[in-house]
Amino acid sequence: MADRRRINGPPGSTMPPVFEDDAGQPEVKSGKGRDRAPTAIRKMFLKTGVTPSASGSAYLEFEKSNKSDVSGLKLSCTVHGPRSLPRSSPFSPHIVLSAHVKYAPFATKQRRGYLRDPSERDLGTHLETALRGAIIADRWPKSGVDIIISIIEGDQDREASKSQGDETWDMMNALSGCITVASAALADAGIDCVDTVAGGVAALVQDAGDDSTPRIVVDPIPSEHEKVLGACCIAYLPTRDEVTNLWFKGDLPASDAGLYTQLVENGIQASRNANRVLVECLGETTS
Amino acid sequence: MSRHRAVRNLDYDEVMDEFEENLEEEEENRLLMEQGVADVRDALGAEAAKVTKTQIEEALWHYYYDVDKSVTYLTTKFINPPQPKAPKPAAPKPTGKFIIPLQAMLPHELQDSLHWAEDNRDGLGGRASRLTGFRQDHVGFRVPGSSPSYPLPPVCLSTHFHDMPWGNIPKGRESILIPPVVPRCGLLGGSGAPPKMTKLQALAAARKKKAQEKTSEQEVEQTRTQMTGLSVSSTPTQKENTPLSGAFSKRLKTSSSTAQGRVPIIPTEPRSESEQSVEPITKEPEVVAEPVQVPPVKKAQPSAFAQTLFGGPTPTFTIQQDVVTLGLAPSVLEAFSKPSPDDIVLAAQAKAGKKPPAGQTKKSKLSTTNSVTSSVAELKIDDTPLPKSRNLNVLSEFEKSTQKKNASFVVVGHVDAGKSTMMGRLLLDLNVVDQRTVEKLRKEAHMIGKSSFALAWVLDQRTEERSRGVTIDIATNRFETDTTAFTILDAPGHRDFIPNMIAGASQADFAVLVVDASTGAFESGLKGQTKEHSLLIRSMGVSRIIVAVNKLDMVNWSQERFDEIKDQVSGFLSATGFQKKNIAFVPVSGLHGDNIVKRSENPAVAWYTGPTLIEELELSEPSARAMEKPLRINVAEVFRTQQSQVTVSGRVDAGSLQMGDAVLVQPATEKAFVKSLLVEDAPADWAVAGQSVVLHLSHIDPIHVRSGDIICDPNKPIPKEKTFNLKALAFDFLMPMQVDVHRGRLHAAGKITAMPALLDKVTGAVTKKNPRLVKPGQVARVRVELDDQVPLEAGQRVVLRSGGETIAAGLLE
Ligand SMILES: Nc1nc2c(ncn2[C@@H]2O[C@H](COP(=O)(O)OP(=O)(O)OP(=O)(O)O)[C@@H](O)[C@H]2O)c(=O)[nH]1
Ligand SMILES: [Mg+2]
Repeated sequence: MADRRRINGPPGSTMPPVFEDDAGQPEVKSGKGRDRAPTAIRKMFLKTGVTPSASGSAYLEFEKSNKSDVSGLKLSCTVHGPRSLPRSSPFSPHIVLSAHVKYAPFATKQRRGYLRDPSERDLGTHLETALRGAIIADRWPKSGVDIIISIIEGDQDREASKSQGDETWDMMNALSGCITVASAALADAGIDCVDTVAGGVAALVQDAGDDSTPRIVVDPIPSEHEKVLGACCIAYLPTRDEVTNLWFKGDLPASDAGLYTQLVENGIQASRNANRVLVECLGETTS
Repeated sequence: MSRHRAVRNLDYDEVMDEFEENLEEEEENRLLMEQGVADVRDALGAEAAKVTKTQIEEALWHYYYDVDKSVTYLTTKFINPPQPKAPKPAAPKPTGKFIIPLQAMLPHELQDSLHWAEDNRDGLGGRASRLTGFRQDHVGFRVPGSSPSYPLPPVCLSTHFHDMPWGNIPKGRESILIPPVVPRCGLLGGSGAPPKMTKLQALAAARKKKAQEKTSEQEVEQTRTQMTGLSVSSTPTQKENTPLSGAFSKRLKTSSSTAQGRVPIIPTEPRSESEQSVEPITKEPEVVAEPVQVPPVKKAQPSAFAQTLFGGPTPTFTIQQDVVTLGLAPSVLEAFSKPSPDDIVLAAQAKAGKKPPAGQTKKSKLSTTNSVTSSVAELKIDDTPLPKSRNLNVLSEFEKSTQKKNASFVVVGHVDAGKSTMMGRLLLDLNVVDQRTVEKLRKEAHMIGKSSFALAWVLDQRTEERSRGVTIDIATNRFETDTTAFTILDAPGHRDFIPNMIAGASQADFAVLVVDASTGAFESGLKGQTKEHSLLIRSMGVSRIIVAVNKLDMVNWSQERFDEIKDQVSGFLSATGFQKKNIAFVPVSGLHGDNIVKRSENPAVAWYTGPTLIEELELSEPSARAMEKPLRINVAEVFRTQQSQVTVSGRVDAGSLQMGDAVLVQPATEKAFVKSLLVEDAPADWAVAGQSVVLHLSHIDPIHVRSGDIICDPNKPIPKEKTFNLKALAFDFLMPMQVDVHRGRLHAAGKITAMPALLDKVTGAVTKKNPRLVKPGQVARVRVELDDQVPLEAGQRVVLRSGGETIAAGLLE
C-alpha cells in the first residue's frame, strides 16, 4: 500500500500552469516596469541576533517589488566564531574566513539540490573576498570564523514562464544581499572590522519599447526590464572609501569607456544606501 | 708606514698650532657669546631680570648665537612658561587621520624638549619624534613663531637634562610611559587577565544585552497585541510607519564608532561622519556628471514571513487573509475545512483498535474453569507469533530414527601430556581436518618457534593458547565413525584451568586419560593433574576411562615402561572407584600417530596387539540417557546470531525438546520459546538427552540468560536452592569453610555450614556423627549454604573448590 499518511510531492519538477488570458493583456508588461527612481534601491528589513545559538546572526529581506509576483530576497546569516582552528590545520597568523552560501531547496523556481552547486560556491568565494577586506584578520591568529548564509527566498519572478536572461543577474542581487547581511552578522558577533561593508548592484538595462536607450539603474530586478546588458556588484567600505569586491558581468559597448566607471559609481551609491540601513539597524539595539 | 715611524715623524709644531687655533676659536666664541648675551638682554628689556646669564648663554649656545631664537626660547621657557592645562594652540588641521594630544600626556619638562625637537625637525629632532612612534605630521602642536628651517646647532644632550639630578628624580619630572597598545588576542595565551574588549565587541555585547532585555518585555507586549488581534474581526490593521526622524542622528553615532573600531589607540575627537556619508556625492569623482539626489533609504517593514520568525510588533495579516490571497475557489477552501479522507480512515482504525481482539475474549471465557493465574500469564501481549510446534512425540521419533549413537568424551591429563596433539592427530587421520590446514598451522607454529605444537593448534584456537602452548578452555570438536558420532571435549591440563575442565567433564559420557610416558613426566603427572582429573571425572559420574599412554616414542616403545605405567595407573584408578572392566590402556604416540587411528607400523610396537584408540572409543557404550526425565539443558554459552538475539549452546542432560516448545530459564525464572534448534550443528526438529544442541530462543531478554544457567521444562522446573546437602568425597581436609561450588559452567560462592555425618564408602551407612574434620579420602555428608539462589536438584554432581584446589566432589541429596 502506498504511504497515505504523508503528502508526497511529485518526483520531478513541475511548472505551474500559465493561463492564456494573462498574456492577452499587452499593458501588463509595461505596468510591471520599474517604478523606483533609477538610483533608489528597494527598501529592506534587517534584523540582527536572530539565531541565539550562533555567535552572531542577521536576517535581511528586500521589500516586495511593485510587481506582486516578485517576492523579495530573504537571507539569513549566522556567524560562528572566532573559534580555534582544529589541531590538524596548519598555523595561521590571522583569522581563517570561510563563507558558505546555500540556496534553500525551495528558494528558486528551479528546485535546488541539497549540495552546493558551482554557482553557490561562486557566491561563497565572492562573499569571502568582500568580507576579508573588512575584517581585521590579524587580531585572531590560529582561529577561524564560519559565515553561513542560507537564501530562504530568491529574487525571482515566479510567474515568468520563460526564464528571462540568465541566472547571473539574480546572483548579483543575491551577492549584494549576502554581503550586507554577513556584515551585520559579523558586527553582531563582535568581530572587529575596519568598517561595515555593504553590497550594491548597478546594471545597464534596456527597457521595453523601441525608442528607449539603455540606462543605468541600481538594484535591478531583471524581470522589470526588457534586457539587462551588464551589471556589477560592489562591496564597499564607506568610511574608508574602499571597494573590497567587484564583480562585473555583461556586454557593454566598448566605445563608451565611461560607462564602466558610471556603473561602478552607481554600484557604490547603492552600497552606500544599503550601508545606511545596516548602520541604522546596528544602532537600533544599542541606543 | 708603520705606526711607530708615524709617531717619530710627527710634527710637534703642527700639532701645537692646531691647538693654538682651537684656543683662538674658543676666544672668538667667548666674544660672540658676550655679544649675544648683551643683545639678548637688550631684546628682553625689562624681562631680562627673570633670566640668569647662564640661561641666556645656554640658549645662545643651542641656537648657535642666534639672538632671535634664543629670545623666543627664553620667553616661552622662563619668562612666560605655557600653562600645562592651557588650551591647545590653534593647530593647523592635521593632514593625518589621528591626532595625538601629546601635550596632555607629557609632563611639562618633556614638552620642552619636544618643542626643541620640533624646531629641529630636519636633524636630530626628526629622529627623536620618530622615536616616539608617530609621524611628524601627526604631532599636533607647533611652537608659535618658530621658523621651520634653522641651522643645526651643536648637539648637546646636557641641555635636555641641565637641571636634572642623577638619581632621585622628582616625581613631577618623571615621564609617564604609556605601554604600546597590543592587539587583543585571547588565543595567544599569556596573561591571565581577561582580554580587553574592543569597541566593536563592547558594542556587540551591549546590543546582545539590550536585545535580551527587550525580548522579555516584548513577549508580554506581543502576546497582548496578538490576543487583541485574535479577538477582533478580520479587518487588517493599518500598517504604522515608524517615525524615522530620530534614526538618522542615531546612525551617525554608531557609524563613527564602528568605523573607529579599528583604532585601538587613544581616541581622538570624533571625526564628523556627516562629511563622509551625508554628502557623499560632493566627494565623488568627476565621472558622475550630475550629482544624483539620493532618496532617503527607509527601512522596510518586515514581511509576513519575517514577522512570524521574530514575532513582529503588529501582526498585519491573518491566516484567513493569506488563504484568500492564494486566489483559490471557495469550493477548494471548503474541501480542506473538513477532515481529510485519510483522517477519517485513521480515526476509524484507531477506534477499532480499542476493541479487545475476539480471540482473547474467547480464551478468557474458557479459562474460567482453569486457574485464573495461568490464564493471565497466557494473555501476555506480544506481536511476534509464537513458534509453531509440530507436536511430535520426540521419544518415538528418536526410536524410529536411524541415527548413529552419539557419545561425548573428555580428554584429561596432566599439563603437556599431549592431549591436544593427540586429538589433532585423531582429527587429521580421520580426515576431519585436511592435510593442507595442518601444513598451514605447522608453518605458522614454526614462525613463532612452536612447531611441535602444530597439531595441538587444531584444537587450541585462541591466540593466547597458541602463544603459550597451553590449552586454556574446553575445545569442542566432532567426528564420526561408522557407528558413532563422537564429540571431543579437549580439556586443559593446567591446574589453573580446572574449572574449565570441570565444565567439560560434566558434559562427557566417558573419558580419555592421557599419560605422559617419558621419564619423570609420568611420575610428576601422577602427583599432579593426572590424579586430580581422574578423581574429578569419577566424582562427576564418568565410569568408563581409556588410558592413552602417550609419548612412548620417547622411550623407544619400551613394553616395560608401558606395563609399569599400566600397573600404577590401574591400581590408582581402582582405588578411585573405577571398575576394572571399565579401564582400558592403549600405548600411543600422538605426535606420530601410532595406534591412534592407524595401527603402528613401527616394529618396536609389535608387542601390542590390542585395539587402537579409535577402536577403544567405539567399544565404549555411552551412558544411559535420561530421556524420560524432565528437560534439563546446561547452558554452556550464550551468544547472538541472526536467527535470534538469544542463542544458547549446551548439552541436553535429561529429557527431550522440540521446536516451538516453551522452556523456562533458571535461575531467572523467565519463560522462552524455542524458535529453532540445531543438533550437532545441523538443523533439527527435536533433540534428546545426550545431544549437544544450539537453541534459538524467542520472547526473552538476553539479560536473563547466562552461561551456567539451566533451561528446563516449565511444568517441572528445576528448583532454585540456597542450601543443599551433599554426599561428598573429600580430596582434602574438610571443615566449615568458604568454598566455590562448581557444577558444569556454573560456579557460585558459598560455605560449608555443617558436616552432619561421616559415611561408609561402599554401603553409605553413617559411621560417625558430626565429625569435626573430614580427612582426604573420606566420604561425608556436608551442608553447603550459597550466597545466591542456584538451580540445583538431587542427583546432580558438584565439585567444591577452595583456594584453587579441589577439596571435594559429590552428589546432591
Ligand atoms: N615426542 C612426542 N611428543 C609429543 C607427543 N604428543 C605430544 N607431544 C608434545 O608434547 C607437547 C605438549 O602437547 P600438547 O598437546 O599441547 O599438550 P596438552 O596436554 O594439550 O597440554 P595442555 O592442554 O596445556 O594441558 C607438544 O610439544 C607436543 O609436540 C608424542 O606422542 N611424542
Ligand atoms: Mg591442550
